[in-house]
Amino acid sequence: MPYLLVDRRRRSQWRRVVRAVRDGGASAVELGFPFSDPIADGPVLAAAGQGALRAGTGWSDLVDAVRDAAEVIPTAVMTYANPLFGRGLARSVGELAAAGAGGLIVPDLSWDDSAPWRRAAERAGLDLVQFAAPGASARRVARVARDARGFLYLVSRYGTTGRGAAAPRSPLAPIVAAAHRARPDLAVLVGFGIRDRAGARRALESGADGVVVGTALEEQLEREVTPEALGRWLRRIGPARRSGDAPERTPARSPGPAPRRPDRTAAPAAAASDGAGTGSDEAGRAAGA
Amino acid sequence: MPRRYGPYGGAYVPETLVPALVELERTWRSARGDPAFRAELARLASTLGGRPTPLYFARNLTRRAGGAEIWLKREDLVHGGAHKFNNALGQGLLARRMGKRRLIAETGAGQHGVATAMIGAALGLQTEVYMGVVDMERQAPNVERMRLLGATVHPVESGLGTLKDAINAALRDWIATVRTTHYLLGSAVGPHPFPSIVAEFQSVIGREIRWQSRRAFGRLPDLAVACVGGGSNAIGTFHPLIRSSVELLGVEAGGPSAASRGAASLVRGRPGILHGALSYVLQDADGQIADTESVSAGLDYAGVGPEHAWLRDSGRARYVAVRDADALRAFRWLAQDEGILPALEPSHALWAAVRAARRRPKDQRIVVTLSGRGDKDLEVVARAAR
Repeated sequence: MPYLLVDRRRRSQWRRVVRAVRDGGASAVELGFPFSDPIADGPVLAAAGQGALRAGTGWSDLVDAVRDAAEVIPTAVMTYANPLFGRGLARSVGELAAAGAGGLIVPDLSWDDSAPWRRAAERAGLDLVQFAAPGASARRVARVARDARGFLYLVSRYGTTGRGAAAPRSPLAPIVAAAHRARPDLAVLVGFGIRDRAGARRALESGADGVVVGTALEEQLEREVTPEALGRWLRRIGPARRSGDAPERTPARSPGPAPRRPDRTAAPAAAASDGAGTGSDEAGRAAGA
Repeated sequence: MPRRYGPYGGAYVPETLVPALVELERTWRSARGDPAFRAELARLASTLGGRPTPLYFARNLTRRAGGAEIWLKREDLVHGGAHKFNNALGQGLLARRMGKRRLIAETGAGQHGVATAMIGAALGLQTEVYMGVVDMERQAPNVERMRLLGATVHPVESGLGTLKDAINAALRDWIATVRTTHYLLGSAVGPHPFPSIVAEFQSVIGREIRWQSRRAFGRLPDLAVACVGGGSNAIGTFHPLIRSSVELLGVEAGGPSAASRGAASLVRGRPGILHGALSYVLQDADGQIADTESVSAGLDYAGVGPEHAWLRDSGRARYVAVRDADALRAFRWLAQDEGILPALEPSHALWAAVRAARRRPKDQRIVVTLSGRGDKDLEVVARAAR
């Protein structure tokens, strides 16, 4: 699942970008709404977000982008807690759902404080995604997974998004297993700092059902490649397959979709960056949102 | 230990930080009930920190105001020159108890960075401090101090280059290093359990005010005044007085002009989520955090500790904003009347205290927490005078 930052300056080419991403093999898209203080973002996405805000990107741009994207591909929204809270929880999730979003990802909302958010999202018909991270106990992963809707977002490592300090990876398999034990129907997608095909493969070999790519795509867009070139780039890195023949899990098995929502599938395999051995710039920086 | 103060507080953080916050809370629970921990905290607060700090009757400033008596709680005399030592010592001991060998901290005015650097040196912990580039320039002496004390200072260029950006940078570091590093957060802000831990380590201020005022004038004061950026010296002053009848007044930075929002989140903000807590926040209609401006780096912050948000809503404390020019005036009054150079942060509180004293009878007593000394601000004050 690719991550795309909503930026008013890209408005004119937005539909083409989304179509290109779909044609490049993505099974769903994650639209990012920039926040002034994005503590989980690495330098590339943080700078892109600040640029988008300086260019005047506002809530209405997000709603427009969701509307455009949702016509083409299942669409989730990612933003920090305050843009949603500051607008009023019920109102903001209602507006996103009405525009056609199927899921909501809030990186600074931990499970412990998410109860009112889960209620608001459920009422609006949005899947509120939950996070798991290295260091979590199996008990916590199970509790979080039980409340997750859409999919479980597994943070692959200690650190912010994108290429950062090479923090040592911790084994993901036990976390994935704990999540699947608690919720056999729930897809687990791995994001944050997956830099090459090997990393994506490792993520999938842990039992995960897909990966999220963000920073690498943002870097492509910043190079002002055409949407068609972007699609080719995604196609070139190709869908990474998960090994083994565990049951397919897709977010579609979560509680029934609202009438206006397209069928949401983040699909068992999403874009993963290539670059093993190529050393190419773009692939080397592929990373989760 | 409350996770919420009314509706405020909580821990709005990336999942990666949750285990560290759980560990911190567990360690704190065991430490506070451990007589050996408490004894070491008290011993170092006294022998290294210089506690208790005096409660001083500002006779000349009282005469200038012409009303209620003004007393100063002299946190400027704590080791390092500010109340920040109280919390840095406590959390430093917690870090050691957790076996963490590295401390990171944010700093605005530099006082918390200095306090953390001192504690890092004293306890043998590696220390790195994040500081906005604008603050590094206006509080240059503290940058030098931190370096001399063996800390590494990381300049933060993002955003406005002030306290909020330093906290962002420190949080990003912590997300990557959380297993070996303790984030020694310097104010009563941030995710649970930081606000309650900081409040408890700073409550030594209010506890001393209680016994010192009884000893000095036979009862508790009528009014306690403290400046509020994130709000740690204020919560330390207020906390032990909450169940008394003492009036509580928090003073935020009003900025350069009446048109400015300054950094007065409780006076001019609305509820929002910043740096892990639900509290009052200066923000725009889309929930983007607003730019702030204040002559004092330590108050120049768009958020505030969640317990203050609740004290405000419940009416137990009142909060006002004081402008830059008035704070500078109060700075000069205290220098000329009492021979004390206050930091610009508590200068805001001093101005509000003098104003309150004027309106009150002579038999009332006001205690102002003088949270830090002004040596770091001489350049700013001199520039303002030109």
